Amino acid sequence: MQVPTPPAPPSDEELNAYIRTRYALLGIDISVLPESDPEAPMDQARLLENARSILRQDVVAADFEIDPQHHLPVPHPAPFSAWTRPAPGS
Amino acid sequence: MTIGSPGYRPQDERVSRRWFLRRMAWVSAAAGAGGVLAGVPRQVRGRADLLGPPPRVPDAWLAGAPRQVEDPTTLTMSESMTLTRSGELDPADLVRAYVDRIEALDGVYQAYADRPGRDALIAELDALPADERRSPLRGMCLVAKDNFYTSDLLTEGGSLVFENFRPDYEATAVTRMRAAGGLIAGKGQMGNLAGGRARRYGTLIPTTRNAWSPDDERYSPGGSSSGSATAVAARLAVAGLGTQTGGSVTGPGNAQGLTCVKPTFGRVSLYGVIPLSYTRDHVGVMARDARDAAILLQVVAGPDPNDPRTLGLPDPPDYVRAATPFPGGRPRVRWSTRVGIWPGYFADENERVNELRRAFVGQLESNGGVEIVGELSLPDQWEELTAEPLGGSHGDPTAFFIEHLRRDVRNFADRLPRFLNGMLQSADTYVRVQQARNLLLDRIVSQLFGQCDVALTTATGPFDGTGLPLMCMPIGLDDDPETGSRVPRGVVMAARPFGEERLLDVAAAYQAVTGFHRMRPDDPA
Repeated sequence: MQVPTPPAPPSDEELNAYIRTRYALLGIDISVLPESDPEAPMDQARLLENARSILRQDVVAADFEIDPQHHLPVPHPAPFSAWTRPAPGS
Repeated sequence: MTIGSPGYRPQDERVSRRWFLRRMAWVSAAAGAGGVLAGVPRQVRGRADLLGPPPRVPDAWLAGAPRQVEDPTTLTMSESMTLTRSGELDPADLVRAYVDRIEALDGVYQAYADRPGRDALIAELDALPADERRSPLRGMCLVAKDNFYTSDLLTEGGSLVFENFRPDYEATAVTRMRAAGGLIAGKGQMGNLAGGRARRYGTLIPTTRNAWSPDDERYSPGGSSSGSATAVAARLAVAGLGTQTGGSVTGPGNAQGLTCVKPTFGRVSLYGVIPLSYTRDHVGVMARDARDAAILLQVVAGPDPNDPRTLGLPDPPDYVRAATPFPGGRPRVRWSTRVGIWPGYFADENERVNELRRAFVGQLESNGGVEIVGELSLPDQWEELTAEPLGGSHGDPTAFFIEHLRRDVRNFADRLPRFLNGMLQSADTYVRVQQARNLLLDRIVSQLFGQCDVALTTATGPFDGTGLPLMCMPIGLDDDPETGSRVPRGVVMAARPFGEERLLDVAAAYQAVTGFHRMRPDDPA
């Protein structure tokens, strides 16, 4: 059986394609932004650079070791605890 | 048991740490589950149902002390309430004095995004119940940041995204202020969708000026509650509301010499506030001193059936009493308090700031009941838990704004990445971020607040992210090196869950013997 080897990290171009596809999937058009204009409030180059950094942060988060038995964002106490105390006037 | 009772202890000592941690874990899960919060039944309630017990505000002056009424806008809210209650100041005159300043000066300050006319405010005042106990804030002109829904004024969130938006109901916090007799003098301009300083919508052109530098736009009013801060500091409002997800109340508060409280998560309803993060948004009060902050917090705090994050919490205690120092003699705090100092607290690059901080700590130490415990050791893995990505909240803002993003991403201007990133952060990272947040909260409460009761901090992000209370107040003046403007400097203090009483206590004892909170900026040239 072949031993899995970690794939090469994606390039900026590959991530850009992924990002544009993800936005398009949800019906969001970023082509209305200027491609690169530092004077504009936002441009595609800055947006993509920021988005790439967000994607690469997934690796940092995945590598962080945490005790899943003690720090799960589980619904305890149950969300119904919101109803355990009457609001004023009720 | 009330504050005056023997053996009364502040709320931060009475709430179980385990209970608070479990509760915050629930909030994380509810936000992650998406529909849980949305599934809470909405109940239409009258104003009387929303208003808790009216704040009991003692006279602002000692008997026989001279009372200043020449310009009522220079008074604090507690002073104004004292004089209107005694009949020495007509609430209508107070309102007219504020409207006069707004009409004369807001063209320069640009604090307000929308505001009612003079006649509308007076008519609202005239319609209040005659019983003072039902309208303790009668005649108080208040500002609400422009992300609080108001049905009679526009709510634009500082952005093209909400341009010309007029909600058909109002935020609970606004309703509570009005139910107590307060008047909304206007909606405070704000940074685009609660980020940065206020700007002309869709551009990078600044609008709101810092009240201490009204003729020089370079000196920032702070963000994102820019307009609320300027309105209170420039005497266009006596107090007001901001919101804080990442320093947006304490930042502009310190930039403009205000005393503000960002309370514990869930203490004040967020119903009717444009959301940024379901797990990190807070309503904060912005005022001119600790007692005014306490009065406004007393009015807006409490459970709201429309916001489950506010339910199941301990009742709000008597904040006004906590912010009322013991009279006479050496100032002292009500409850013995250990104060810890953040690493690097006296190593700011601005030596004047270090000088002011040293004087501040010296004054605190001279107050009875305060023990300075020295430099704090930060909790384990502090850097990892507070830095990106674990200390961030990228997954939160997107869901609410999908339709707006589809309409035209240009409306988001410089804030676009913040609102698009949520659809790129994976679900497993989002869960890990929420886990890390709970771990950080656990360690702040057990490790950091194991060393002290109040932390003098230079970092607000970790406390915003974990829902812990913060308070800011001015400690002196400095010359801004870039503009040469004479501007206030302030401090931020952090406490355990529901530590608002203790923060107000420490601030009130400090303000009892110092005058920085009474500094008022000059009007524009």
